[in-house]
Amino acid sequence: MRIALAGNPNSGKTTLFNAITGKIEHVGNWPGVTVAKKEGDVKRDLRPSGERTRVIDLPGAYSISPFTSEESITSAFVTNADADVIINIVDATNLNRSLMFTTQLLEQGLPVVVALNKVDLLHKRGIEIDEKKLSEKLGCRVVKTSSIKKQGLRELMEVALSVKGTEQKAPITLRNVDPADKAEFEVAEKERFTYVDRIVNEVESRITESRKQTKHDSIDRVVAHKFWGIPIFAAIIFAVFSISQTYVGPVLADTLGGWIDSFYGYADGLMGESVAPILRTLLLDGIIGGVGAVVGFLPLIMVLFFLLALLEDSGYMARVAIVMDRHLKKVGLSGKSIIPMVIGTGCAIPGVMATRTIRDDRQRRTTAMLTPFMPCGAKLPVIALFAGVFFEDAAWVGTSMYFVAIAIIIFGALIVQRITKEGYSRSYFIMELPEYRWPSLKRALVMMMSRAKAYIVKASTIILLSNVVVQIMQSYTWSFTLVEEGMQGSSILAGIASPFALLLVPLGFGAWQLAAAAITGFIAKENVVGTLAVVYSISNFIDPEEFELIAGANDVAAVMGLTSVAALSYLVFNLFTPPCFAAIGAMNAEMESRKWLWAGVGFQLGMGYTVSYFVYQIGTLITTGGFGAAAFPGLIAVGVYFGILIYLMRRNESEVSMSMGGAA
Amino acid sequence: MEVSLMNRIFGTHIRNRSENAKPNLTKARIDHTYTIESIETDDKEMENFLFSLGCFKGEDVTVISVLADNYIISIKDSRYSIDADLARAIII
Repeated sequence: MRIALAGNPNSGKTTLFNAITGKIEHVGNWPGVTVAKKEGDVKRDLRPSGERTRVIDLPGAYSISPFTSEESITSAFVTNADADVIINIVDATNLNRSLMFTTQLLEQGLPVVVALNKVDLLHKRGIEIDEKKLSEKLGCRVVKTSSIKKQGLRELMEVALSVKGTEQKAPITLRNVDPADKAEFEVAEKERFTYVDRIVNEVESRITESRKQTKHDSIDRVVAHKFWGIPIFAAIIFAVFSISQTYVGPVLADTLGGWIDSFYGYADGLMGESVAPILRTLLLDGIIGGVGAVVGFLPLIMVLFFLLALLEDSGYMARVAIVMDRHLKKVGLSGKSIIPMVIGTGCAIPGVMATRTIRDDRQRRTTAMLTPFMPCGAKLPVIALFAGVFFEDAAWVGTSMYFVAIAIIIFGALIVQRITKEGYSRSYFIMELPEYRWPSLKRALVMMMSRAKAYIVKASTIILLSNVVVQIMQSYTWSFTLVEEGMQGSSILAGIASPFALLLVPLGFGAWQLAAAAITGFIAKENVVGTLAVVYSISNFIDPEEFELIAGANDVAAVMGLTSVAALSYLVFNLFTPPCFAAIGAMNAEMESRKWLWAGVGFQLGMGYTVSYFVYQIGTLITTGGFGAAAFPGLIAVGVYFGILIYLMRRNESEVSMSMGGAA
Repeated sequence: MEVSLMNRIFGTHIRNRSENAKPNLTKARIDHTYTIESIETDDKEMENFLFSLGCFKGEDVTVISVLADNYIISIKDSRYSIDADLARAIII
């Protein structure tokens, strides 16, 4: 049996989906988190019969006539009757608007069960709904549920099974109008609204009117304030970083670091002298050391994910979109672009995929190109490593990386706007505002564990493999003999990375080891940490002896031979150059244009280089009074990059139609 | 009296009322419920979308607050954030 979940955005479809399938799909308290349909099997204890039951979670839709691309997925799915039963999730606190979609679903002929969701909120709002009467009026079964509290799920499944195979009668038959006839179609649709109004009047009683000011509105006045909005956002992000990076995270990381160290020692002792040295290095430094260095940051990342999950659950992120809207509008984007970027803080791939909700091609492509600048989960260990080794775990390092990302995004959007010669175009912005709620610790924990699991899986597969390859390439010379002691420069790895390292001299880090780490970062950004661990044979960035994240900070810093400024420059370079290959693949899919893809990757590469160059050179000028290494050749490179950008911006209008702006 | 007070408080947002004779949402008083007269836009898809939210001629709309150039409005038990461009298209 196949059951489709359909309903308005933010009505709790994915939460219900997670509750009945036991999966952990990304949920957030704002509309539009789900952009593609997801499938899962109903948990055994919720299955009324032995039959395997598949549930399909559809993106939110307000209406069966599609407006956004997510709505088209939903609409195509229900009209093609690719399910046995439709469960229509109705937000009980918003009956009037939700039923509009319900009446449309009832006309599709598939049996519909209405899940009157969020019933746990009704009492608090002073709303009463007579679900029996509602069921009579609609001509379908109605089940009260609370997906958050996991109430009514079993009954919902039983009812869904019982209606399977029946035929759904529509409660109203609208005059059979030709949808192409706009005016008449609208008249018919208005009848639907009148009909819904009538039902709602009969089944619902409200004490307070929703148009009255509430305390949520008062909170909005503060957090989405014209001037205070951004400082408040900055303060919240800073708090998130100081908790995860400076206070709670390191304490936990310390314990884990101790375990990894003991494991290293244990494995070392176990192998004894009987194992060949090359295999021994591979196992100890390559695998345990490299993977251990990445896993060592897991506690920090988990605390951070936990806090971000709390933030997402509260409904605050929708307010960030309001605050950012006017700034993004000035550079040709809209508040809609902020949602992919917020999702991108977890991982750039779903972030880039979320750009699908943007209708305008140019805006969507620009957003897909800029979203990967947001520091994602995989970049966090890199931030944590450098903040720990060079800046004593200061929370400002991580926070400033987010704001540098926002600055680059705004600057980048401005450049794209100039290049595509897009004038001020009216782009309407509308977003449903979810109500605030107390974030659930349990949900945040579940979310954190799911991300932690993904992190460990990644570390033990792709990162492990990369480390092995790096270790082997580092151990052998081009003639496949072992690299001799003190001759590390003769290894295959050094040979490949050295030419790139040369290009990086103006950025303050010309060592082949650092170049190699940056290159492996394109496979997965965590690799930067893993590779650094391997090439410098630092098995552990976390010293268990001290109560600080990286007590041997000075040692590690000395091994890498970087000044603080160069380290910051290296961090910036790794964060703001193109993302990992998987994210580039996602960009390709959403941009639907090779030209945009290459332009995007080129822009990211140039941007990472430029920002990093200025960080190093200006930073060095301030700290030492003179410019850093190779300031002049670097300036030429940056100059060429800007030259290209300016050339693209200055091209005359006739060429524009052939270029990016006109690309299909 | 009340209008002038509102104007003084929210004056910055209403400044660009200009010559446009038809009153739109940007000129709405906070907490006052209006009936929508029409939606004036050439963006047909947006008009349809607003329609599916219950935002069309004859329906009620209330401006809850003006935040960072966005208008928080209440239509049919829901809160939406819309930008000034869209607010200008909703004639009341």
